[in-house]
Amino acid sequence: MAYDGNDKVLEEVTGKSYEFGFTTDIESDKAPAGLNEDIIRLISSKKEEPEWLLKWRLDAFAVWQKMKEPDWPHLQYQKPDYQAISYYSAPKQKKQLNSLDEVDPEMRKTMDKLGISMEEQKRLSGVAVDFVMDSVSVATSFKEKLGELGIIFCSMSDAVKEHPELVQKYLGSVVPTKDNFFSALNSAVFTDGSFCYIPKGVRCPMELSTYFRINESGTGQFERTLVVADESSYVSYLEGCTAPQRDENQLHAAVVELVALDESEIKYSTVQNWYPGDAEGKGGVFNFVTKRGICHRRSKISWTQVETGSAVTWKYPSCILKGDHSVGEFYSVAVTNNAQQADTGTKMIHLGKNTHSTIISKGISAGKSHNSYRGLVQVMPSADNARNFSQCDSLLMTDTSGAHTFPYIEVKNPTAKVEHEATTSKIGEDQIFYCLQRGIDEEQAISLIVNGYAKEVLNQLPMEFAVEAQKLLSISLEGSVG
Amino acid sequence: MVNIKELQASIGETPILKGLNLEIKPGEVHAIMGPNGSGKSTLASVLAGREDYEVTGGAVDFEGQDLLEMDATERARSGLFLAFQYPVEIPGVSNINFMRAAVNGKREHDGLEPIKGKDFLNLVKEKASLVELDGRLRNRSVNEGFSGGEKKRNEIFQMAMLEPRFAVLDETDSGLDIDALRIVANGVNAMRSPDRSFLVITHYQRLLDYIVPDFVHVLVDGKIVLSGDKDLALKLEEKGYDWIKEDVIA
Amino acid sequence: MTGTAEPIVMDLKRAPNVHAATQAKGEALRAALAAQRTGTGLAAEQLDALPVPHRRVERWKHTPVAGFWSTPEAPSVQTIEAAGSEACPVPGLHAYRMVFVNGTFDAKASDLPVHNGVRCEPISMSDADAGSQGPLESTDWFAALNQAFATEGMKLHVAKGVILDRPLLVHHHTSGENNANFMRHDIHIEANAQVELIHWSTASDSSTGMVNIMTHMSVESGAVVALDKVQDEAGSLQHLAFEQINQAQSSQVRVHTGTIQGNWVRNDLNFRLNGEGCETVLNGFFLPKGKEFVDNHTTVDHRAAHCNSSEQYQGILYGTSSGVFNGKVFVRPHAQQTNAYQQNGNILVTDKATINAKPELEIYADDVKCSHGCTIGQFDEEALFYARSRGIGEKEAKAMLVHAFIGDVLEGFAVAEVRMEVEHRLAIKHGWDTWNDTLESA
Repeated sequence: MAYDGNDKVLEEVTGKSYEFGFTTDIESDKAPAGLNEDIIRLISSKKEEPEWLLKWRLDAFAVWQKMKEPDWPHLQYQKPDYQAISYYSAPKQKKQLNSLDEVDPEMRKTMDKLGISMEEQKRLSGVAVDFVMDSVSVATSFKEKLGELGIIFCSMSDAVKEHPELVQKYLGSVVPTKDNFFSALNSAVFTDGSFCYIPKGVRCPMELSTYFRINESGTGQFERTLVVADESSYVSYLEGCTAPQRDENQLHAAVVELVALDESEIKYSTVQNWYPGDAEGKGGVFNFVTKRGICHRRSKISWTQVETGSAVTWKYPSCILKGDHSVGEFYSVAVTNNAQQADTGTKMIHLGKNTHSTIISKGISAGKSHNSYRGLVQVMPSADNARNFSQCDSLLMTDTSGAHTFPYIEVKNPTAKVEHEATTSKIGEDQIFYCLQRGIDEEQAISLIVNGYAKEVLNQLPMEFAVEAQKLLSISLEGSVG
Repeated sequence: MVNIKELQASIGETPILKGLNLEIKPGEVHAIMGPNGSGKSTLASVLAGREDYEVTGGAVDFEGQDLLEMDATERARSGLFLAFQYPVEIPGVSNINFMRAAVNGKREHDGLEPIKGKDFLNLVKEKASLVELDGRLRNRSVNEGFSGGEKKRNEIFQMAMLEPRFAVLDETDSGLDIDALRIVANGVNAMRSPDRSFLVITHYQRLLDYIVPDFVHVLVDGKIVLSGDKDLALKLEEKGYDWIKEDVIA
Repeated sequence: MTGTAEPIVMDLKRAPNVHAATQAKGEALRAALAAQRTGTGLAAEQLDALPVPHRRVERWKHTPVAGFWSTPEAPSVQTIEAAGSEACPVPGLHAYRMVFVNGTFDAKASDLPVHNGVRCEPISMSDADAGSQGPLESTDWFAALNQAFATEGMKLHVAKGVILDRPLLVHHHTSGENNANFMRHDIHIEANAQVELIHWSTASDSSTGMVNIMTHMSVESGAVVALDKVQDEAGSLQHLAFEQINQAQSSQVRVHTGTIQGNWVRNDLNFRLNGEGCETVLNGFFLPKGKEFVDNHTTVDHRAAHCNSSEQYQGILYGTSSGVFNGKVFVRPHAQQTNAYQQNGNILVTDKATINAKPELEIYADDVKCSHGCTIGQFDEEALFYARSRGIGEKEAKAMLVHAFIGDVLEGFAVAEVRMEVEHRLAIKHGWDTWNDTLESA
């Protein structure tokens, strides 16, 4: 991919321009720092939530208080002071946007540099963009069309009000509040997120996306996403920020739950490019995300992620293969540069008979970063004929970076077939020289080689996402060869 | 076009080239032959700018420019092409994308706009027919899973795409059966022109039946010890290299 | 964020994970031991400061330790009933022998090497200071327990350039109930020396309790060491084996671990490649049956450039047995040009058998080639069918496949007689009376 003028984009990605976010006019409606039951009651009442949800939050809070922040990941960071964070701030004054022209020009500029105009996105791919928090009109243009099919795609707050029976039924059904420290915290204090329901037999005609969100409370620290695919339905859901997300938040503890009922399929793609901190490792987002899906009979969940951002990433999108003949997939590219740290992977829990899972993970470590794959493949006694194939490769760009692989394989059924392969190697000097000899410069050569290396994963992304993901890889690795 | 003077190069502490002189004029085809370990492939690598080799002395003039001052990319963009003895596999990178990046790199160097998609595809089609490279290979990852012959044909295809001024063919005949050799040689011959020069490095005379050189040089122990016309190659084929070591050097 | 001058060994950065109830049980065991025997002088405080393993400690996640606390009465000090009664476990083997019965040196059964440049003696009879074990290196509680109570074991010193003419077999035999046998072997192989070692553990049917063996091996430059380790213990012992092998420049060490039989076995095999050009091979097989439990933890720590390590562990699990494989390859900064290969294959034969595998790579240098593979599966039904369609019985066919599966590991045992005896004992345990025929016809 020829990509020029990268320097400026890189500046945008890593530079000082991350000063967007909460501004002065919200001061008056910001809860005091700290977390206690009153704050949770405040969040719940501000959001006009039903009593059951408040109780749910309070229960989660009680559990969280007894839990310890995990120290098993291969990560080193200053643990956040959870009492120094403000857990509720009202969205800032909204402007009604009537057209894309009113979107922040700087953001548009960045997107243009990445080669994605929103018009084009909309026109080419029919991406329904969910500007959840802003309730901005541009985003909801597809809502009507989705509505005709009975598809619900709205913010979590709206879902709580409009579809309480669905939310109550599925919220926390895949990631229980007490699952882990961060999920408990999220359950207690989540402010918003997305909700999606695909009715029986419906094939969602477009990629659903929370594609481009301006940072207000929605992308805030504690996002909650719930996707339910009813029997024999299909949905492809895109999450994240192909444009560099502007965010001052140090801590993100999101929870994503997927429910794939019998014979349905959910494809969930993420391109994560949160602020990674500066070259010295100062600042940057702590990304502690719990993502999990449950697969019922003959259903399929496919996670695809391209992780290039965040100072610290702790993330294991997982599948519980409960139903017979269900399928789980995990495709991941994780790039770390400078002082970034990533500990990411997946869990495939095989419960049903004839369940299959595939794990393809490609790690790329540059600068003085550390990149760990951590995965669990568990075959329970009930899971006859379970199959898993895992391939975890690591590519090292510098002699100061680290690449680590921690696969846990636990099998309790003799009919299981599990294969795990992993390699770690340096970026091929022969390959680079071959490119140089053909007149391709070094930056571009690295970009080509890395994109080729990650191709198996990038191919899983919807077309328009894949192109941007490729560019992101290139940007993330600029000047990375030591 | 290319003027190599007293070139010395070493790898690590070991000197390989020990004062090599060679002048190649536009349109000429020179062949370099020599026993294993004489420095043939080192010469190719040094000319292309591989950093594993240290140039310890001498100079190389390439069309009035100091070749040794340029990095590998600049050399390539200025019109130097190396057909590798062992072409490298690059998994996941399609041949066609690879060539587009290379062609556009050269065009940028020449102050031209990037090539249009349609023009590029036409060019690919035209050049691929030169070496009978079928469409399947064009879309596969660079050299991945190619047979030995396919790799070499791919090298010549890339050469045709990039239209270099000076091409170095490093043991292009190694590992080729007679049909592949003929195809590769035809590709090279089609590219011969009064303003393009070739340096053909080979261990065997066989290739020179197809690519007929203007000059043949014998490289022994890092130096050219004997030069002649194409008949020299035949003599080498017949008598081997030992007589040179005995007669010429001794 | 720190730089990467030193790797982040996360285990050491963590606060010890202490589980109060387990800690109390561990301390009770330590106190019971201390009350009845003289230790090596490792202070109780030092031991009690370490976390007693439990499920939440990563290195012991899948290794049940409850059995250690289940016998409340004080562990007994077993002695030799009849000295010299232990025969060589490998018939016909022409080797030096050092025999320990219930942790006590059995001089009568032993045949120590008398060889120029070789000093081989039980620690109890050694002139050298038996307590000079250096500072506590391991943070593992069971290893520390060994350091506190192991007063017997082998001291072996092979001088520069000496080639020991016969293999040296160290035989541990355990009998009686409620054992708590601690042994420590200190092995020092000087530059360019060569030695073949065999560690063979057996036990009587009625034996219970704990066997805890720690081996420290220092291999100097250019030395070549082969260690064949065979575990064939009847009874219901809990067997812990720790090996720390430190290799200097251009040394070669091959360790083969075969677990034929063992109620509860935990092997901790750790290599440190301190000098350039080391060659390290560590292979193993385990075929647990019934309720047996076999755990192999290995670490290969590449601390210097240009070293090669190759690892293969194969497990076949029968009955309600369970197995653990945890292999860690660690490549430090500057350990460039490392080649590290690791393979772990497992076959689950029955419904109730389980395996937990964790092949880990932790890599801090860039110019390396490291790979690992792990498979869990079944006997190849096609191959089984093929064999049977040629008139080979199912049992024989399976024996053939077992042999194929662990064949590479078996081949690697340094001493041919050991390999043959291992095959013989496996055949007896699993009822493959045709094993040897199968071998010959294969």
